[in-house]
Amino acid sequence: MTGAFDIILCLMILGAAGIALFVRDALAAIAFFIAFGNLLGLAWLGLDAVNVALAEIALGAGVTGVLLILARARLLALGDDATCADTSAWLRAGALAACAGFVLLLAAAVLSIPPESGLDRAVAPLMPGLGIENRVTGVLLAFRAYDTLLESFVLLGALVAVWSLAPAGVWPGRPADLGVADVPMRRVARSFGRFLLPVALVMAAYLVWAGSDVPGGAFQAGTVLAGGLMVSAIGGAIGLPRSDLPGLRVALVLGPLVFLLIGLAGMGFGGFLVYPEGSAKAAILAIEYSLFLSIGATLALLVAGPNVIGWPDPAGGTDRHSDC
Amino acid sequence: MADWFTLAAVFLLLSIAVALVRCWRGPGPVERIMAAQLAGTGVIGVAVVLGAARRDAAMLDAALIGTLLAAVAVTAFARSAARPGDRPDGSG
Repeated sequence: MTGAFDIILCLMILGAAGIALFVRDALAAIAFFIAFGNLLGLAWLGLDAVNVALAEIALGAGVTGVLLILARARLLALGDDATCADTSAWLRAGALAACAGFVLLLAAAVLSIPPESGLDRAVAPLMPGLGIENRVTGVLLAFRAYDTLLESFVLLGALVAVWSLAPAGVWPGRPADLGVADVPMRRVARSFGRFLLPVALVMAAYLVWAGSDVPGGAFQAGTVLAGGLMVSAIGGAIGLPRSDLPGLRVALVLGPLVFLLIGLAGMGFGGFLVYPEGSAKAAILAIEYSLFLSIGATLALLVAGPNVIGWPDPAGGTDRHSDC
Repeated sequence: MADWFTLAAVFLLLSIAVALVRCWRGPGPVERIMAAQLAGTGVIGVAVVLGAARRDAAMLDAALIGTLLAAVAVTAFARSAARPGDRPDGSG
């Protein structure tokens, strides 16, 4: 029975990916991309890789899907019909050959890994020294913390890149209003946003805490927070902040900065990013909680896009990051 | 018991496949997004059933995250559906 489940799931993943690639309608492609991400999350669950499944469902299907839906709406508003243009047969054949070659290389690489060479056995004996149970968090925040530190700066860099696309004259300003224009719809969306944001905040705080011992962590939690912020912004329950707001800047750099400071403090205990004996869990949780706030704010602002409205802005707007 | 859960998971997967057929055929944007939402609900169901079959509570967290973020996608779509053709009643 498990075999049947696996085979049907694999066929559905391939089918959803194929339709998402070949369908002409942009919205259908987005819908199938979201379905593809969700099914891929199920595949990771089936492989007992729950950490990866959480990330795939949250980031791959969730936030990327929202980003694509909003990008389509923006294209339509700008007069683009958001359908795919015809490309030459040679270009398609070349792209197919390049992708097929890459997939073959990837498959060869994966198949060449001996089944018994997982990191698990190397990491397991080191875990008691950290005081946490989740080996993925152990690798991400302790044994390979350098990678995660750089990743958190990459995310910040991405936001700086998006912000730098703002046209001249609207800096400092705020992104285009995400709110619904239709008044009755706005009322529904506003009360829904007011309901969802606290739920998302609780869920995200739980995910960070749970991430020490069971699957979870700062990236998944930040994505959930970003989801709550986006629904609230769409409903108009919170306004999008001005990009030079001091509180916003603090929220954005808090995670990477705390990570870097704790890493530098580790120099006193034997090296960069070495945690003091016995309080590794406290250091990891401090880093994860500040990272989750920064990731949530950064992802929400990445989806909101570059500034298009300069100040002085008569709408005023509330500071949605006053709670950060 | 776990066999019954796996059977339920297979059944839910097939119902997701039917929802995806509706999503493919459309014809309108609303049908597509509602069908994608239905498929998402099915995925959450599969995650819950898998969690029950393997006695892994963390899989319920995956289902919870899916639930929360599905709401964001449909809200984002409703916001962009200001054109007349996108409204179910066509009133725009």
